Amino acid sequence: MTIDFGIVLGFKAALLQGLLMTLKLTLVCVLLGCVLGFVVSLARGSRNWLVRGVSRGYVEFFRGTPVIVQLFWIFFCLPLVLGVELSNFTSAVIALTLYMGAITSETFRASLKSVGREQLDACIALGLPRWTQITSVILPQAVIRAVPTLLSNCVSLFKESALVSAVGMADLMFIGQNISNNTARPIEVLTIVAVIYFVIAFPLTRAVSHVERRVLAKLAA
Amino acid sequence: MTTSATLQLGNTMKSVASPLADTTRSAALPLVKVAGLHKSYGPQIQVLKGLDIEMKPGERLVVIGPSGGGKSTLLRVMMGLEEIDKGAISFDGKPYISARGDGRKTQIDTAVRREIGMVFQHYTLFPHLNILENLILAPCKVRGESRKDASERAEGLLARFGLGAKARAYPSQLSGGQKQRVAIARALMLDPKLMLFDEVTSALDPELVAEVEQVIMQLAGQNMPMMIVTHDMWFARNIASRVVFCAGGVVVEDGPPEQVLGAPVQERTREFIDRVFHIRQ
Amino acid sequence: MDYTFDFHAIGQNMGPLIDGLVMTIQLTIAANLVGVTLGFVIALLALSRWAAVRTPVMLFVEFFRCTPAIVQIIWIFYCVPILFDVYFDSLTMGVIALGLNLAAFNAEAYRAAIQTVPREQLDAGIALGLSPIQRIAYIVLPVAVRASVPVLITNGIGSFQQSALVALVGVQDLMYAGKFLATETYRPIETFTVIALIYLAVSFPVSQLVEYLERRRGAASH
Repeated sequence: MTIDFGIVLGFKAALLQGLLMTLKLTLVCVLLGCVLGFVVSLARGSRNWLVRGVSRGYVEFFRGTPVIVQLFWIFFCLPLVLGVELSNFTSAVIALTLYMGAITSETFRASLKSVGREQLDACIALGLPRWTQITSVILPQAVIRAVPTLLSNCVSLFKESALVSAVGMADLMFIGQNISNNTARPIEVLTIVAVIYFVIAFPLTRAVSHVERRVLAKLAA
Repeated sequence: MTTSATLQLGNTMKSVASPLADTTRSAALPLVKVAGLHKSYGPQIQVLKGLDIEMKPGERLVVIGPSGGGKSTLLRVMMGLEEIDKGAISFDGKPYISARGDGRKTQIDTAVRREIGMVFQHYTLFPHLNILENLILAPCKVRGESRKDASERAEGLLARFGLGAKARAYPSQLSGGQKQRVAIARALMLDPKLMLFDEVTSALDPELVAEVEQVIMQLAGQNMPMMIVTHDMWFARNIASRVVFCAGGVVVEDGPPEQVLGAPVQERTREFIDRVFHIRQ
Repeated sequence: MDYTFDFHAIGQNMGPLIDGLVMTIQLTIAANLVGVTLGFVIALLALSRWAAVRTPVMLFVEFFRCTPAIVQIIWIFYCVPILFDVYFDSLTMGVIALGLNLAAFNAEAYRAAIQTVPREQLDAGIALGLSPIQRIAYIVLPVAVRASVPVLITNGIGSFQQSALVALVGVQDLMYAGKFLATETYRPIETFTVIALIYLAVSFPVSQLVEYLERRRGAASH
């Protein structure tokens, strides 16, 4: 057989539609996941053991199980548990947000820890009230430190979002697979799909190392 | 520029008052009274073993001694950064810190703590804030001073320390000497009645030490009471009105700089001084 | 919620689940053997002096790191047989797909670890008259390999979890057994919950081990 990437061009509208779904899903889950992750990272440091335990259990569960299993659980079990129908998009958003929240809470937790003891000493020596210590000194530094890892979490989520194709959501991967099956041209179609993912993810991973260097330079004081 | 911090720093570089000037005040109440301070890290490491120090107003106390002898710990306790096992500290006639024993938290009067400023070895500037913001954070948040007033005072202070052009720079853009001068200015923004300097030149390149020591001398010229931990014996001799030699968690020798640094009475002090100056030569 | 839980059906079908778990673990071990060794070779090639070696190797690594694993797996299952005219059983295909993916991530781990060896250590090696090969063998490698262990283990658990994806191309692993049971018994909640817990029971202790190793290293470096 001859390889002809030209045939993929005929499906560019469909692939674009799939890509938009992938990007929309990623964006929504990144935003929700960051908020959730931030709240959970604070809950992990709570004085209440129940809050601490529940948040830890959540994080360990979502980091310790395959995302595909989480996705299946949310798609097939959550509607039964809740007794309501959930749209595919809602289910996908719930699943990927919970995943993003779990890995992002670890990012925030690590960056909170990385704000050194000396910074707290300085706060006390300046007599700063507890609230100011947290909002003006600790949190801003923690957030700046978290940025590179947050970016790479976004890349991870972008890649993981391809799993929703397995539960029938029409994202880039799903549409690519359909075209591949219908045209019997897996090499051309699947390669182009992979290249599209690559073209988006690769610059982001480069940005991660660039941002990381800048953050480290700025906080090296 | 009639704000308090600039007034305090009013006339520059007066020669440092002689120790004699301080003896005339000896009748005054002590500014600091440290009594029977005990502090350990875990059951094994006892850092302070019943340390007593009195400091009169206007005194500049330099604390010297071997590493692990408790110098820095003393300063950190003074700043209220460490729990203590036994003992008490009063400041300006008011009870300030006292141990409650039985593993209960050390009692610290935070209102008194606000009258003390501290500068650390590693600058500890807030890296995400520019220099001006570093200076005005505490006055605005602690005393509710307006941003405008605090900024004015800060700019005056920075200008006096030769950092006028750096107000909008970030800490990462400054040299070590500049950072340390900013850290001193930041502490002065709260008009402290006592300044603590914990090995503030130890992390600096040798050529940057002088600019920081000069700023401290400038403060000394205005009779700012201070407690200084340093390894720099020349600086100690130049700035101290009194020198305390600390070793093994207690005060071994306490006297004017000529005595402790020049002709120590105690054998342990003599050994230490001999060794330090031997290495120097 | 008017769903009554019934784990009975799962209890009766533990056999297929255990078979699936065994398959998953075999996949993981084989993929890790590929990933740990091939990843190391790739890392050395990526640090090569010659761009003709470095560039294609870097491209391989970045391609696997920057595309979804599911895309890689499906691509390999569909395209490798056509392109190279070879037919492997699905387990072998699974190992190839997961192994190549893991090798790319492990290569990054090795490379990062090699670059953490401080310049002064190499200078000391030169000052002591060690040859370039001796410097790599006695200075760089021992430090780098030790430094990369926690990341290698983390990536290893990652491949354990990722192995669930090969169920989508018909490898009869734990996930596959779960999907099968869920439809067979009409008990999706119980099945998928048990599946998730089995994955967790394997992953969690290993991730705790990594945290322990990292804490110990943190304490040692002070």
